[in-house]
Amino acid sequence: MATITAGAATLDNTGDDPRVRAPLIVGNNDYTTITDRVCAVVEDPKVRKAWLIAFLTAVSLTGMLFALVGYLIVTGVGVWGNQIPVAWGWPIVNFVFWVGIGHAGTLISAILYLFRQNWRTSINRFAEAMTIFAVVCAGLFPGIHVGRAWLAYWLFPIPNQMLMWPQFRSPLLWDVFAVGTYASVSTVFWYMGMIPDLATIRDRAKHPVRRFVYGLLAVGWRGSARHWHRYERAYLLMAALATPLVLSVHTIVSFDFAVSQLPGWHTTIFPPYFVAGAIFSGFAMVVTLAIPARAYFGMKDIITMRHLENMNKIILATGMMVGYAYAMEFFIAWYGGNEFEQFAFINRATGPYAWAYWIMVSCNVISPQLFWFKKLRTSIPVMFVLAIFVNIGMWFERFVITISTLNRDFLPSSWGYFRPTLVDICMLIGSFGLFFTLFLLFLRFLPMIAMAEVKSILPRPAAHPGNDHSSSSHTSPSHSELH
Amino acid sequence: MQHAITAPLKVEQVNLPGSTLGISTKAMLIGLVTIGAGFLLDLMAGPKGLYHFAHAYLLGYFFCLTIALGALIFVCLQRLTKAGWSVVVRRLAEIVAGTMPALAILAIPVLVFMHQLYPWTHEELVANDAILLGKSAYLNTPFFLVRVAIYFAVWIFISRSMLSLSVRQDDSGDLALTHKAERLSAPAIILFALTITFAGFDLLMSLDPHWFSTIYGVYVFAGSMIGFLSVAILGVKFLQSRGVLRDVVTVEHFHDLGKLLFGFTMFWGYIAFSQFLLIWYANIPEETIWYEHRMSHGWGWVSLALLFGHFVLPWCGLLSRQVKRAEKGLVFWAAWQLVMHLVDMYWLVMPALNLAHGQEGGPGYAPAVHSGFPLHVLDALCVLGFVALFVGLILRSMRGVSLVPLKDPRLGEARAFHNF
Repeated sequence: MATITAGAATLDNTGDDPRVRAPLIVGNNDYTTITDRVCAVVEDPKVRKAWLIAFLTAVSLTGMLFALVGYLIVTGVGVWGNQIPVAWGWPIVNFVFWVGIGHAGTLISAILYLFRQNWRTSINRFAEAMTIFAVVCAGLFPGIHVGRAWLAYWLFPIPNQMLMWPQFRSPLLWDVFAVGTYASVSTVFWYMGMIPDLATIRDRAKHPVRRFVYGLLAVGWRGSARHWHRYERAYLLMAALATPLVLSVHTIVSFDFAVSQLPGWHTTIFPPYFVAGAIFSGFAMVVTLAIPARAYFGMKDIITMRHLENMNKIILATGMMVGYAYAMEFFIAWYGGNEFEQFAFINRATGPYAWAYWIMVSCNVISPQLFWFKKLRTSIPVMFVLAIFVNIGMWFERFVITISTLNRDFLPSSWGYFRPTLVDICMLIGSFGLFFTLFLLFLRFLPMIAMAEVKSILPRPAAHPGNDHSSSSHTSPSHSELH
Repeated sequence: MQHAITAPLKVEQVNLPGSTLGISTKAMLIGLVTIGAGFLLDLMAGPKGLYHFAHAYLLGYFFCLTIALGALIFVCLQRLTKAGWSVVVRRLAEIVAGTMPALAILAIPVLVFMHQLYPWTHEELVANDAILLGKSAYLNTPFFLVRVAIYFAVWIFISRSMLSLSVRQDDSGDLALTHKAERLSAPAIILFALTITFAGFDLLMSLDPHWFSTIYGVYVFAGSMIGFLSVAILGVKFLQSRGVLRDVVTVEHFHDLGKLLFGFTMFWGYIAFSQFLLIWYANIPEETIWYEHRMSHGWGWVSLALLFGHFVLPWCGLLSRQVKRAEKGLVFWAAWQLVMHLVDMYWLVMPALNLAHGQEGGPGYAPAVHSGFPLHVLDALCVLGFVALFVGLILRSMRGVSLVPLKDPRLGEARAFHNF
């Protein structure tokens, strides 16, 4: 772990000399140190105090969430603030928020893979884990939002004596398939990618139970050339399959809104706009989680400043795509000449929920503009705050879309002001508890960094082990040529 | 990750031979004469013919413009992402985008024929139509002209800057030029996104001024990328047949261009489907009318041709790695997609002809006059004329310019590039 204390100069790999590709892993790392350090987190016999405190907090919040779900089921959906015409209140806002978060992981592992973005190797594992946990949180809300949660299985087209079928023409049903497929493929992709690393942990395990459990998970991986060959083929195919899936999930979530005839919901840019927003929020969450995780577990030379900077650039780019969509909606609302559409948008920006609208715009469009400056996008405090702003802004985006649209329907007599109840608020907080419980368990028991993949971007071991050049550059012109 | 190739390039790998350059003037002349012949032909057909010529001209023009815009955004994206593999094809893109000043001049006839193209230019019509009246702050002739001027100012500025930064490096090898181009690329993309969107709204969407769609700009962008990537594949193949770029652009680069073409084929399908599904599903008459024009009176066949020809078949065709790496396979699908991109433009522009005819008579906004499927020899003349003219323009820009960014710091990486 000596490298962590190395001077800041050796950890900075954000330079952009066009003659060389900057190293993605800094410090004096080689195959051995990567294995040792990533496995050390999992193998540490002691439970570290900070982790334990975080975990206990998260578990308590999860407990609160499930207690509230129980209360909801026993009492009815009246415990929420949902009130006609706002039939979709916070549960749907939370659903869309969490599904959106769940887009970064598979984007990193699939799309960035297809684009040969090698820097993804340091962050893909825990981003994928985050994806799955976010989808778990997302999946909870529609399940309880149906009102009779014990009948939630009716969402699936199961043959039955009553000849009751879900409405196949409804995007709400497509959601069941889209999110379900995404959750299962992401899980398989994540797990498959983890098999070589699980085998590494198995091979290092001292305790027989440990060896058995990780051995079971490693499904007989021996690391032979044939294994690797098949693994690489499978990984490419999974990436190719997962790529359209990533786009399809939020596309179909956007259909939930956009197929309607409701002003403010029915607009054709929704599918790509939602996808861009999902990637935006997902990356913001990855940054939010990566900053404390890399510091706490001493991974600053594996998840380097360059990784964070690249993610911040993606946040800036997708943030502007979202801004573009906001602008198009507004322009076409005016250009289309439909007064109801115009009202919906003026109401968003100046109506009773204007505060939410401007939180959304400030967090999603304005504040990421700071990332234009290299100094700011490579500053840990700045990016941490901005990433949290983006998380907040993207939650409010869904709030604005759902609630500010619904609370002004075509019948002015039913216009009211939606207020969340305490149960609404505590359920949102509780869902973060569930998310962090799962994420903290993952950090403790599974390899948080894809060791095998990171090794693939390290320079091949040099003829002389421990040679300093081996860790300084992985591209063709030797790094030392520059000096 | 491969070792860079730094072996010096031969002159014939870099510069187009004079014999090929000689074609450029001929091609441009043929193009102008063909378009001129179309114009004369339609003058003989009387005032109605003028409508058809205006639309056919817009079709040919926009087809070439989208290719140049695709090239422009391609250059900016490669610069922004500091891409290595694409350095060997980037100069071609810079040259294609560099035709923007000529395309600005060629836009003048579109503005001359505004009255035939855009119903909102008919004052008496606007005065009697509440919707058009509501839009008249945006859809009016002076503002339209100002906007078009802004679009071209932006495009000319970005494309000429990108070309000049790149060409200047051929001599000096100055790394600061790379940094400059990279710094320019980020704001350039923002300007590009806004200008291509509003140019799409203005030049194409307002052909049917009642209709609107927020995704329209993205649709035009998706088509532009398909158009340019097809041209890039065919263009490099053509240049290689003349000796240029041989052993510089390898099967690996073609494979990557093929992947991008495949990706954007899918993206186009995604955007086209999103627009269609949302409008079809909500079934609001003011929106469905646009598809109504494109699904009746013979147009349904064109729509189906797009669905299968621009998406399903090329998607299946380009899926295979073998096809993308096979010389004939990739050229076939690039040519196919280029033709289908033309069909797409035809599908966007031409149904408006019936609408324009409808506005000739009375003062009110009239529904389209359906005279069936308006395929005409004028369309062929304008399209072929524009293709010849555009090819001539591109070849002319290659005069005295190296077709490889000779001292680009990532050239060695690009030449050594391998898919693994």
